[in-house]
Amino acid sequence: MPQTTIYVSPRSLGAPDQRPPAVVTVDLARLFAGNAALAGVSLTVEAGRAVALLGPNGAGKTTLLRLLATAIRSSFGTARIDGLDLDRDAALVRARVAYLSHDTGLYDDLTARENLDFAATMLGTPDRRVRVARALADMGLSDRADDRVRGFSAGMRKRVALGRILLGQASLVLLDEPTAALDDEGVGLVAQLMAAWRDVGVTVLVASHSTDRLEPHLDARVTLDRGLVSDVDGMGVISTPVGVPAERRVVVATR
Amino acid sequence: MSTLRREATLALAIARKDARAELRGRHAAVGALFFSAVVLLLFGFALGPDAARLAAAAPGLLWLALIFAGTLAVSRLHLLETDDGALDQLALYPVPRRAIYAGKALGGFAIMLVLGLVVLGAVGILFAVDVGGALLPLLATVVLGTIGIAAVGTFYAGLTVRLRAREVMLPLLMLPVLAPLLLAAVKATSAALGGDPFGELGAWLQLLAAFDVIMVAAGAATYGYLLED
Repeated sequence: MPQTTIYVSPRSLGAPDQRPPAVVTVDLARLFAGNAALAGVSLTVEAGRAVALLGPNGAGKTTLLRLLATAIRSSFGTARIDGLDLDRDAALVRARVAYLSHDTGLYDDLTARENLDFAATMLGTPDRRVRVARALADMGLSDRADDRVRGFSAGMRKRVALGRILLGQASLVLLDEPTAALDDEGVGLVAQLMAAWRDVGVTVLVASHSTDRLEPHLDARVTLDRGLVSDVDGMGVISTPVGVPAERRVVVATR
Repeated sequence: MSTLRREATLALAIARKDARAELRGRHAAVGALFFSAVVLLLFGFALGPDAARLAAAAPGLLWLALIFAGTLAVSRLHLLETDDGALDQLALYPVPRRAIYAGKALGGFAIMLVLGLVVLGAVGILFAVDVGGALLPLLATVVLGTIGIAAVGTFYAGLTVRLRAREVMLPLLMLPVLAPLLLAAVKATSAALGGDPFGELGAWLQLLAAFDVIMVAAGAATYGYLLED
């Protein structure tokens, strides 16, 4: 069983209101073969907030997360993470962002522990062995830590991938369908993680079709439709319509 | 920790990860080894049973077998990164891109070196060539040659790993670039086996070393762009 308190970060990020916005995008767009997966999103997310990205398939949720993670480059528009430009300061942004994608990014022929140990080396995690053991315990994987992930179920693989996020020092966590393939206990773990991240001031953007169990840990919900923001509900998020010059921007939804 | 030391640690971690996966899955080495053995045997059949002819062709056959097998090895080593989006994850770590290149190239070099030594021994046995008589210069040639194959192969394997036609594209792109290496390595091997009567071995080894330096530098400087979408 996972431990009751999940160890998410070795440092406090400081009071959210003393920090720059975690995410600022201006008319951010990405085309794939001429089609706009993201058609111009201008979004500001305050530091320390937990925001759900909602919308039907093809709305642009995954594209937005991949852009913010620096996994892909934008076709138009700009974005800043913690005040750092996504294109110009990509290397610095990577040190601040953790991303859970649909793919787990695990090596099949390595064990769960070896996968996390490799990730910890890449992330420069201090006290590597202790932190890896702790992440495995927190994700309820201690019993299977030394088994190759090739034999793991989709849910177990996702737990290992979530454990990898615990090894870094991210100030922004991007989760793409984190509860997909997870059992009830696993979904509870994600909810626990969201609470723990909030405690230390980590900003979370979570794209999901089912946010019921995560609802208590969310500050706002942003709905995307055909690559544009169609609705914003909650605190700490500002969205402006596409194409409006900066000096004439009006906050269309915030409270 | 100094930047160089940190990058060396990262590169070693990537190479160690590849070696561990390779020892368990045996994706690259075993396939490449059998492939090079088949290439040597087929060339042997094609050239006929004339011992003098086989011995004269041995340096060329050794390096053709190594380069063909190297294409296979670096390709298989990069396929490890296609496990469930592993390459995308590798690109998202906050590490210098050249450290990722160095790690992948180091893993490729380790496999190529083992392959080179085994194939060198096989050539000695199959083509009745006295490998033991010129062991040091032959070892130097194999080390420098396999560094070059790994350096070039790692770059082009990274370029083609996301392509559907990667098995076709990789040799098409990689083999022409390896032409200078093939020339220098064959000449160096011939000189070493023949006792270096014209004192040309050093010059060919220098050419191999220069090729390695240029290719490693070019790969380290440009590999990062291959990781971008």
